[in-house]
Amino acid sequence: MSVPAIELVDATKRYGTSMALDRVSLRIERGEFFCLLGPSGCGKTTTLNLIGGFIPLTSGELRIEGQRVNDMPPHKRNVNTVFQNYALFPHMTVEENVAFGLRMARLGSGETATRVDEYLALVGLEAFHDRLPAQLSGGQQQRVALARALARRPAVLLLDEPLGALDLKLRKQMQVELARIHRQVGTTFVFVTHDQEEALSMATRIAVMSAGRVVQSGTPRDIYYHPVDRFVADFIGESNFLEGVAVRDGARSYVRLGGGSTVDAPADAPPGSVTLMVRPESVSVGPAPATNGEASLSGRVIHVAFIGNHTRVTVRTPAGDIVALRPHSEGSASSALDELLDQEVCAWWSPRDSTIVAHGSTEKIDERLV
Amino acid sequence: MAEGIDPLELMPVSRMARPLRALLRGWAGVVLGFLYLPIAFMVLFSFGESRTPGLPFRGPTLHWYQEMLSNGVLMEAVWTSIQLAAVATTLSTLIGTMAAFPLVRSGFRSAGAARIVFTLPIMLPGALIGIALLIFFRRALGVDLSFWTVVMGHIVFTMPFVVLIVSARLQGFDRNLEWAAADLGASPARAMRHVVLPLIAPAIVAGALISVTLSIDEFVITFFTVGPQSTLPTYIYTQIKFGVTPEVNAVATVLLLGTVLLLGLAWAAAGQARRLSRIFGRRRARERIG
Repeated sequence: MSVPAIELVDATKRYGTSMALDRVSLRIERGEFFCLLGPSGCGKTTTLNLIGGFIPLTSGELRIEGQRVNDMPPHKRNVNTVFQNYALFPHMTVEENVAFGLRMARLGSGETATRVDEYLALVGLEAFHDRLPAQLSGGQQQRVALARALARRPAVLLLDEPLGALDLKLRKQMQVELARIHRQVGTTFVFVTHDQEEALSMATRIAVMSAGRVVQSGTPRDIYYHPVDRFVADFIGESNFLEGVAVRDGARSYVRLGGGSTVDAPADAPPGSVTLMVRPESVSVGPAPATNGEASLSGRVIHVAFIGNHTRVTVRTPAGDIVALRPHSEGSASSALDELLDQEVCAWWSPRDSTIVAHGSTEKIDERLV
Repeated sequence: MAEGIDPLELMPVSRMARPLRALLRGWAGVVLGFLYLPIAFMVLFSFGESRTPGLPFRGPTLHWYQEMLSNGVLMEAVWTSIQLAAVATTLSTLIGTMAAFPLVRSGFRSAGAARIVFTLPIMLPGALIGIALLIFFRRALGVDLSFWTVVMGHIVFTMPFVVLIVSARLQGFDRNLEWAAADLGASPARAMRHVVLPLIAPAIVAGALISVTLSIDEFVITFFTVGPQSTLPTYIYTQIKFGVTPEVNAVATVLLLGTVLLLGLAWAAAGQARRLSRIFGRRRARERIG
């Protein structure tokens, strides 16, 4: 395997007695769009600041492109950062901001001008050379920060919640832009966010962090469909959790749930006490399963909510409440679903779409962030 | 709404409100007159022809300004004052700016107390500082009073203003900007030169200009610490012993003009600093929301 862009080995950061980062090991390959995802205080920004060189490691090792950089000051590291508040220099024009890093690298004036033009064009701000940051909108400032950091052509670009201050629409737009810029320049991106949707939509790989540790890392699909524990499942999207006991009976395995019902389990379910997870969009609701071999529970519809592009149906079963998300196909107008309220129905899903998750950390996620 | 006053606030609450308001307006005029009339008369008399200034006024003439310019002793005093202000301001700006950094940033526990100690000379009576310095120079150090003793005397009370103004500016400084500079390859020294100093420059300039005006005007501390030379204020003082001449009026008028000009510049520089800090303020606000 080639030399990774970033490698953390047992990286630990302690502030007094509190552990900000606890033996984190990460390997970020070149060209990845790597996302550090987690609630506030999970250590994701600490990790970024360690890589940027703004705070020193307590123990462990940090390598950038194979070189150990534990004690290298930030101005000598081959990484650049897009700060959360952009940190544009208010006394410099857009052009001077982007040129700053090049001037510090003592690039010739001709080469500097070419690069400034190149990177301002990359972010679509060709016409803004002489503006001051105060004369730009939030989205434009964000682009200047991006151009300024990329203009030095770093090995790794660090982004610290760069979209956090933008409104929803602009954020969506910038997500698309960032993905395009990443494809175009091919630089390794390390992106910190608490927004799971942002992480899922842009990242090639995600590390979910909690309490100073990496809980799970993998592709967005991996993490969404096969979360290792309840924390990850809860943090990334909505889930139904069913507590029960897994039983293997020959080739078939099933889970005995509370209330006496049983459902088919995924084939790899280990026998014993388990938590079964199934995503709401995998659950169907109706009079009875259309095909055999589905895991199904019967219950009463207690809530129907129209949420624009979907309708959310909550079914109370003896094993617990099950949430199903139903898209509006032409045949099912939402008014038809409204009639489901208080009806006795079946909720079913394919066992393949369910996953056994570890009980995991039960800590409550800060609601503001979800 | 910019600086507009809500019309409701101007609505009279009682029948007496309107006449009372007129009365207060008149009183404000009397107070302002008390403050500025003497100065106005001084300026007026500097243009009068009479050797003993007084009413009725005859003139105007620039005679006393010519006298002033051809008075060698006076011009020497002016030159001494200018040198004194230049040296004292340069030193107190340097020391004050350097002191502001640890006072704001070191985060040591007694920073608040340290700042009070640093700025206390502003509140101490000039005579007290003057006598203390005189005793210190003559009895403790055993040096003769000279240009340099008066320079030190001026630093004692101008430096606190620089500390106050520059640390206020540093307090609102976004440390992220320094991180960004380091991130973009600037060594600490270059980050200081290209990012920190340009951004706090308005405050440093404002502090320096206030130092100049304070130093040019200072009489009491100068009186106690100056050597054989005279500065403009001490020259004026000695002249007045022989009666107020229109020449002194002319000198004072020039001094007034110079002071107002410098204070105007200081105010403009501080305004520049405020404008920049408003930009930072907005940014910090966004950060809190985000």
